[in-house]
Amino acid sequence: MTPEVPVTPASLPAASLTALQEAAAAAGLLVSSSASWPDTDEDGDVTALAGFIESNFSPLMAQVAGMALRDRELPPASGTVTAVVTVTALGDVTSAIRVASAVDAGERVSPLQFFQSVPNAVAGYVAAQWQLTGPVVCVSGTAAGLDMAALLIEDGDADEALVVRVDLAMTDGGDRDHAAAVLVTRPTDRAALDRINPEGEQ
Amino acid sequence: MTDQARRGTGTVVVTGTAVLSAYGRGAEALLAGVLSGRPAFAPVQRFDAGARRVRVAAAMPGSPELLAELTSAVREACEDAGLSASDRARSPLFLAVHGDPAIARTAGGPAGGPDAFTATVAGRAGLAEQDFRCYMSACVAASTAIADAAAMIARGHADRVVVAGGYLVERDQFALFDAGRVFAGDGQVRPFSAGRRGLLLGDGVGAVVVESQESARARRAPPLARVAGWGRAGDAYHPCQPHPEGLGLARAVSAALRRAGIAAADLGYINAHGSGTGQSDPAEANALRLALGDAVETVPVSSTKSLHGQSLEASGVLELIVTLLSVRKGMLPVNAGFLGPDDRCRLNLVLGEALPATPEYAMSLNAAFGGANTALVVGLS
Repeated sequence: MTPEVPVTPASLPAASLTALQEAAAAAGLLVSSSASWPDTDEDGDVTALAGFIESNFSPLMAQVAGMALRDRELPPASGTVTAVVTVTALGDVTSAIRVASAVDAGERVSPLQFFQSVPNAVAGYVAAQWQLTGPVVCVSGTAAGLDMAALLIEDGDADEALVVRVDLAMTDGGDRDHAAAVLVTRPTDRAALDRINPEGEQ
Repeated sequence: MTDQARRGTGTVVVTGTAVLSAYGRGAEALLAGVLSGRPAFAPVQRFDAGARRVRVAAAMPGSPELLAELTSAVREACEDAGLSASDRARSPLFLAVHGDPAIARTAGGPAGGPDAFTATVAGRAGLAEQDFRCYMSACVAASTAIADAAAMIARGHADRVVVAGGYLVERDQFALFDAGRVFAGDGQVRPFSAGRRGLLLGDGVGAVVVESQESARARRAPPLARVAGWGRAGDAYHPCQPHPEGLGLARAVSAALRRAGIAAADLGYINAHGSGTGQSDPAEANALRLALGDAVETVPVSSTKSLHGQSLEASGVLELIVTLLSVRKGMLPVNAGFLGPDDRCRLNLVLGEALPATPEYAMSLNAAFGGANTALVVGLS
């Protein structure tokens, strides 16, 4: 398949926190917590994640999601429903290439590759770990991801959304994997929460 | 902060559809196929599946190409809806696919990607060049896209969205599912049945034109159905397994009923997710019992995955079209492959042959890895 619309690797934006924050603002959302990786040049390897193999995609998603959720200013009110929105330009292209190579070579495909074959899997891992009971979705664009988060909140299927963008190194021709996450909510909810509960006590 | 499902005030309608399945191209082939009750599963011919444990799928003959089939489906749905070229140019595409199918084998590194793939389909079908989206959330990708489109239209954020989804049985996903040992070794999908062995993949490409009632009226386009309600919720339970009690799916069902403004007993048909796997079917039955209450005893249920197979990202749009075609025909498709009851999956299944019925409301359910669940309610009145 040769795309008629020329989207070259170089024009695909890397997972930058700034892009997520700008898209959140454009969608009318308030960022209550955020994280990105790598934060500094000293950030080493991504922490491995049990059950996920051969690719940084899922470990990276879980890592920045955890960083953003740990850093939230206020603990979530009881019963808060949080959506998990994964945004990625190419998905887990490392795993996809690995599987394709094995298939083409007639080699065995690892059953663990099946369990990480869609971005939902690690989103489900994050949801289970942090008890995020909102919708689990994955789209390819940052603006779409934040617009969707705003819609889910407006529609009442979620009170807040964790939006995580993950791009593996080859996505943008850069030399490092990147990920960023924002926890977003409606400005009105946040203002109300601050008034009722200024110290963030439950 | 639970039970907050809200919807905009606008009425959302479907005005056009197009579909491809293992039964062939077009709605007539699909409807005839599912109402025949004869599953479309057969040994895979499209590629060499010789190294796999299970070598069966529901695939149409030959090697249809995803980009071409999606483009055709989107064009046909737009024609079915009577959209002019300028109508189309203002309509964004929400596309549900696994990704750019070429990405894993592009020499020298990826060059396209899901957004480029989506833009290409939109461009070739004459849809809007902006605001397209690619949904990649596995088996709820298309149903989530339809829910989002409906929510946006009900709230006046959009007048019309074309939603399409596509999966054509191919070697990589086939190898992955085989490695995961989830295929039915007996070559049949038997949802909610004793002795069920697992799922089988199937071709599915579908497109629907979703728009506001005002927009349809302005074009004098007769609605095929209303998208009355929708719900999406997560299990927060496991990367790949559903919550055993079906908690997330139950919440999605309740939200969809609430948005539709109907009671569970108003549902005349449920097209279940019904993957035919050991864990998923009881979880879904529990979800329906939880969300529907006593109505679970009476609402007819079938999983047409027993007929056309599991078409992954396209499932939501394929099965919504199956639901629409069936209820408009007044015949509910059978839950094929049934061997006998499983006490953990007690539902009012459509068994034996298609059931004559003219429901006013029907629901289509989907669930996916990550504990993602969706429910869509269509209204026929």
